[in-house]
Amino acid sequence: MKNGFAVFFAVFVALGGSWLGLVVGPTLQLGTATLDTVLNSSDTWPQQRTGEATLGLQIYRANGCAACHTEQVRQDGVQAEVSLTGLGKSKPEDFKAFVQSLFILPELEKVTNDLTAFLKDWNGELPKTFLTTDDLEAANTMADRLKAAGLKSETLIVATGADIAHGWGIRRSVAADYLYDVPVQLGSLRVGPDLAAVGVRDPLASWQLLHLYAPGAVVKNSAMPSFKFLFEVSKIGAAPSPDALNLPKEFAPPAGCEVVPKPEAKELVAYLLSLRADAPLYEAPFTPAITKP
Amino acid sequence: MSEENQPSSAPSNTEPVATRSTVPMWIVVVTLVLLFLGFRYFDGHSGWFDARIYAPYTSAEQLDAYQPRSGAAAELAQGKKVFDTVCGICHGVDGMGKPGTAPPLAGSEWVIAGGIHRLTEIPLAGLNGPIKVKGQPMTFASGMVPIGAALSDADLAAVLTYIRSSWGNKAGEITADDVKTIRAALGAPSQPMTSEQLMKMPE
Repeated sequence: MKNGFAVFFAVFVALGGSWLGLVVGPTLQLGTATLDTVLNSSDTWPQQRTGEATLGLQIYRANGCAACHTEQVRQDGVQAEVSLTGLGKSKPEDFKAFVQSLFILPELEKVTNDLTAFLKDWNGELPKTFLTTDDLEAANTMADRLKAAGLKSETLIVATGADIAHGWGIRRSVAADYLYDVPVQLGSLRVGPDLAAVGVRDPLASWQLLHLYAPGAVVKNSAMPSFKFLFEVSKIGAAPSPDALNLPKEFAPPAGCEVVPKPEAKELVAYLLSLRADAPLYEAPFTPAITKP
Repeated sequence: MSEENQPSSAPSNTEPVATRSTVPMWIVVVTLVLLFLGFRYFDGHSGWFDARIYAPYTSAEQLDAYQPRSGAAAELAQGKKVFDTVCGICHGVDGMGKPGTAPPLAGSEWVIAGGIHRLTEIPLAGLNGPIKVKGQPMTFASGMVPIGAALSDADLAAVLTYIRSSWGNKAGEITADDVKTIRAALGAPSQPMTSEQLMKMPE
């Protein structure tokens, strides 16, 4: 064969190069990832799934959920929100005068218009977010000045982006979120919504089961197919099953029958509820909503 | 079929031959400049991999700057950290106290009092002798050392705020300025206080 070695060499380089770039490279970069730590806490992230939820991941895989759903929230930017929480001893008028006196600072030049608008509309209620900006320096300057003047404020870090505006998550997805996923099912097509934080968004197992059995019963005009085969329609025995779905009339089984989830359905729901990418991490910081203990 | 295929100039018998010539200098320069600009762009737009840096952040410095640095949640977290390492050993991380060692803090009238002076003075001065908590007289083998005197104003304020708002306690915040004022007024007592002495202090 003419040029046999050259052909072999070219194929070897092409395949070897792809293998190095697609397998070895990422493994070197992220293969050694270990548990992450939740910001301002000693909790580790992600949380280990229950056995049921781990089995559910395989049900998710077997039913091709990743063909229509993604598990990755994207983030376009980040904003700092300065919120006034206490006036100390001063009055709202003093505060307005104080803010106006800061307008000469060069750091605040870009946000002066926002602050003017805030001062015009504000009628003294607290707490009040009065500065939302992607200029962190301006936000920090503002917070420092307020502190020095004896006023109380909080600076919230807020992730922004189209996915976050959809309510699909509160921050972007990072590699650590998938540490317990084997295989990782990022998905690439969004026929349905993103599921990275579905356990936070729809935390009720009963809702999830109903949605799997009859998507139209809970979401109007849902494009999702029914996963009826994960459920059993059986005659009601001596007593109705505690797991039986509470279906609306048009989806209800014939009289005397009930719809009971098979173990697969329960596992899938356990997996869906374990998807809750809502912890603030070093690589994806945000200020969590304050939940006083 | 058209005239375009015909040689336009006078017919010649010589075959066209490719000859060697040096690359013009301007192509070399333009290529180098483009390479330089390309790499500057690559470098400036997080072209280098770091497992901790994700878009929209481009550097560790930027990411550090965006870590939430204030807020009630951050203060409570700091308070919990200090409590678990310093106070929790005797008072229990659940705030329920340990019999014979330290009284409970959960629901204790000393902790949730409207005034903050006595509560702040206990860790600053220490406490000895019997004490009544939730109506129960309690005695302990050893007293409390002025363990809070070594903490910074901010840390002591955070830990006091934490115990006042945890385990069902719902009392207000104590700020670093409050601690500073009370610490200055108290000075450095040579002996731990007793509960009778504390009761004589303003609430």
